[in-house]
Amino acid sequence: MLGNIKDKFMNYSFGLALACLTIFAVFKFNNFMDNYEIIILIGSGITFTWMGNLWPNFKKLFIYTFLLSFISIYLYKGNLEQIELNFFLKYFLSSQSAIMWMTALYPLSLITYWVYLFSRQDFYGNLATKLTWIATMMGFVGLLVRWYESYLISIDVGHIPVSNLYEVFVLFCLITSLLYLHYEEKLEIKKMGAFVLIIITAAVAFILWYTFEKGANEIQPLVPALQSYWMKIHVPANFIGYGAFAMAAMISVAYLLKDKGIMGNYLPELNVLDEMTYKAISIGFIFFTIATILGAVWAAEAWGGYWSWDPKETWALIVWLNYAAWLHLRLIKGLRGTVLAWWSLVGLAVTTFAFLGVNLFLSGLHSYGEL
Amino acid sequence: MRFAITMFSLLAVASVIGTVLKQNEPYNNYIIKFGQFWFDIFNQLGLYNVYQAFWFLLILIFLITSTSLCISRNTPKILKDYKNFQDRIREKSLLSFKHSYQFTTKKFNAKKIIEFLRSKNYKVKHKTSNEEGDLIVAKKGDLQKLGYIFTHLAIVVISIGGLLDGNLVFKVQELMGTKQIQLLDQELSKIPLAGRMSENNLSYRASILLSEGDTKTAAILRAKEGYLVQEIPFSITLKDFNIEHYSTGQPKSFKSDLLVRDKKTGESITKTISVNKPLTYKGVTIYQAAFEDGGSQLNFLVWDLNSSQPFFKMNSEVFKNNKLTFENKNLTLEFKDFRKFNILEIISDEEQKPKPTNVGPNFLYKVRNESGQAKEYQTYQFPMFVDGNYFFMSGTRDSPQEEFKYLKIPADNNLSLEGFMIFKSLLNNSQKVSNAISKGLNESAFATNEKKEAFQSGTQNIINSFITGGYNAVVETMNLNIPEQASSSDKEKAVETYINIIYLVGQQLVKSYKDDNQDKIIFPTDDSPRFIQDALTAYSDSFFYGVPLYLELKDYKHVQASGLQLTKSPGQIWVYLGSILLVMGIFCMIYIQEIRLWILVKKGSNSLIVSLATNRDRMDFDQYAIELKDNIKKMTNR
Repeated sequence: MLGNIKDKFMNYSFGLALACLTIFAVFKFNNFMDNYEIIILIGSGITFTWMGNLWPNFKKLFIYTFLLSFISIYLYKGNLEQIELNFFLKYFLSSQSAIMWMTALYPLSLITYWVYLFSRQDFYGNLATKLTWIATMMGFVGLLVRWYESYLISIDVGHIPVSNLYEVFVLFCLITSLLYLHYEEKLEIKKMGAFVLIIITAAVAFILWYTFEKGANEIQPLVPALQSYWMKIHVPANFIGYGAFAMAAMISVAYLLKDKGIMGNYLPELNVLDEMTYKAISIGFIFFTIATILGAVWAAEAWGGYWSWDPKETWALIVWLNYAAWLHLRLIKGLRGTVLAWWSLVGLAVTTFAFLGVNLFLSGLHSYGEL
Repeated sequence: MRFAITMFSLLAVASVIGTVLKQNEPYNNYIIKFGQFWFDIFNQLGLYNVYQAFWFLLILIFLITSTSLCISRNTPKILKDYKNFQDRIREKSLLSFKHSYQFTTKKFNAKKIIEFLRSKNYKVKHKTSNEEGDLIVAKKGDLQKLGYIFTHLAIVVISIGGLLDGNLVFKVQELMGTKQIQLLDQELSKIPLAGRMSENNLSYRASILLSEGDTKTAAILRAKEGYLVQEIPFSITLKDFNIEHYSTGQPKSFKSDLLVRDKKTGESITKTISVNKPLTYKGVTIYQAAFEDGGSQLNFLVWDLNSSQPFFKMNSEVFKNNKLTFENKNLTLEFKDFRKFNILEIISDEEQKPKPTNVGPNFLYKVRNESGQAKEYQTYQFPMFVDGNYFFMSGTRDSPQEEFKYLKIPADNNLSLEGFMIFKSLLNNSQKVSNAISKGLNESAFATNEKKEAFQSGTQNIINSFITGGYNAVVETMNLNIPEQASSSDKEKAVETYINIIYLVGQQLVKSYKDDNQDKIIFPTDDSPRFIQDALTAYSDSFFYGVPLYLELKDYKHVQASGLQLTKSPGQIWVYLGSILLVMGIFCMIYIQEIRLWILVKKGSNSLIVSLATNRDRMDFDQYAIELKDNIKKMTNR
């Protein structure tokens, strides 16, 4: 009972605090936003309150991320040179350092998940979960501070950091791990971290290569086509889709292993894995559908047509058809098991091509991140 | 059903082809890529514009038809199901359900249970007069079934919207022979009716290119390898075009100030459009799509790179041709483009990392000779910092498929071309060259006059070869003079010596020039060999530059043109409505679970059966069924 009251109190104060912050931001920064962006800001405030109240750990993540970002911004004193001068910025809280911490912590939590998988000691399981949370927090701090940094470069350069391949790869790691952490808590399937973190670590490897080999971490100003409030909606929605599909594929890997009797004793039951794959794909599908539609609406505004058969658009359609078929087989035909598991793996290949391959091999309107 | 899935798969495959094979390129590119044989086959299949191909539209039409059939076949069943409570069910079948529970009841209060079920969002029907006993039938999540109708209807609506915005009208007109794609470049007003689409054309995505100050009354529709004229209900004037840049030089915004005038009423509006901020007028949306040069005026100095000829002045414009006679050849200079801003990755003086930098204007032109062959040139106005020094860069290539190969002319002390031009004049002055050789010899340690003479004539030969053909000519001459059996290391040594000799002569020429013109500081004042080496290399490379005619851009007046896109898209609203329907449908299908529930109290007994059924058995449903049953049990036992 007492706990209940405490929860309620927390929820209300969290909601109130977010409302205050949102209102403050609307009044303080309305010169920088058009009406749509103000609506998006208020919408985000409501969404985060709702998510935080539904999922206490998300609330925690939000609060810590927020505090750390604020400390970081405070330490900058409005000057980029502080990155080199201030110890905490240099090693912890500058955008680049925070993201580097993220890239270090995800592989670490992957290892810990595997230790947990074979040792079956809860200590390691809990540690792995904690590490994943902290990595996610550092990633979010990195992106938020990067957002601020972009404004320090120049007021007209400032923009939300979802505009190029480097930034969306970070976003991909964060969203995939958040989705996973959510299901881990809800379905009690801690062991799946050992699989889901594989794809996140692969993305981390890409980020590192992209940073050190190509210097992709530098903040670039926005090309005119990207200067739109739509970017704030279209890109994150898309990456919820990509992240969910990636997670589904990794769970399918576990399913196939278990089905073949490999590591059978260490993995959850087949029907649990099957159910989780389905859940991931359905949430991914909804967001991917919405993101693609919003992309079309944006394209109608920026490129003069809601559909131009641009390679990225076309591949989005193929990804969509692929998962539509998957869901169709499962929901209407009642198909289960290995076929769908293999299918979701193939789906990851198709998704990866849409996400990365199109940028690598095909040119078109969507050429925002080149290698 | 199976048919629809086949159609979807075909659609996916066709789409993949469309992304792998670059669409709507000039047909010549395809011929070069595939050869004539495959080009024709692919052309017949319509692979260069897959998404407008006849068979692609056919797939779409089949898709619409079969999905519509699916809907019309299943909808009555679904609607019937939607209304139906399934209250004629027998005890036996109830007991056969997976989630079926039987227990005894002390006090059966139907009203209370119905209330409870309603609070759980069930729709409830109570049938007391059932032959088997007292039956409560409840259900929820009916919307899930409607999800099926929504999603399938959405596909049909979106496809119809897409077809409305396709070019079906033109396709039919083309088949009937009333319209024809135009292939020749000519004035819009001269294009026959068969090449003009009326302003009532259902839908289009056409483009207009406007120079600053220009007015146009029709647009261009690109179609396959040609085009059509699209009539529009208004005229557009480009009053001004502006590009803003970030401090790093990258473009920040493209803005066109437009004046749009209704052809019928004469009513006009002015508006500035930019990327992401189009203007909609009379059902047509006008977008900022591209920009290019609109005929900038260019003033040049023309230099001859490998003779002592002095320069002359020349004026031209982008898209204009200049004829001139150069070294007894009749040449046509065709000016193609001028760009005021060019962002290149440049390694600057202080930093080691390449940084995007604005290197200033460049211009593109072709030099065509009498036989019609042309070489393309791209020349930058200002010297660029490359490999530690400033160079004037001018690229040349024989065809657009090639990369530019750059001639790098070193900039002099004043960052101008003059130093190099003086240097190449000195090289071409035989008197000065032979003086330089003698002077160099006098300073050297050759003892006898005979040896000196022999050396002088040898050196003169080398220099002459260099002057008439660069380092390559020197190597050729050497190969003639050196016995064939000489080892390659000997040859290398000889080449090194020759290069050194040429350098020493160059150095001597510059030194004498400096002595004669002490008031002018043009050549670098330090003793670094860089400038002379670079100048000799540039001179030598100029023999590969095609006609050794170098254009130095002195002055320009920038005139820009804005590329607009005009879209009429009546299908858009249908696509959006279909999309909303689609999202709703998917949501219903995935997140709404249909549950049916029966509670039967058998006649004359206190035995109660609770049965639950769902059409999609999920793991958490077991839990749900047990909880619900327990609640009902509690209620009937109190």
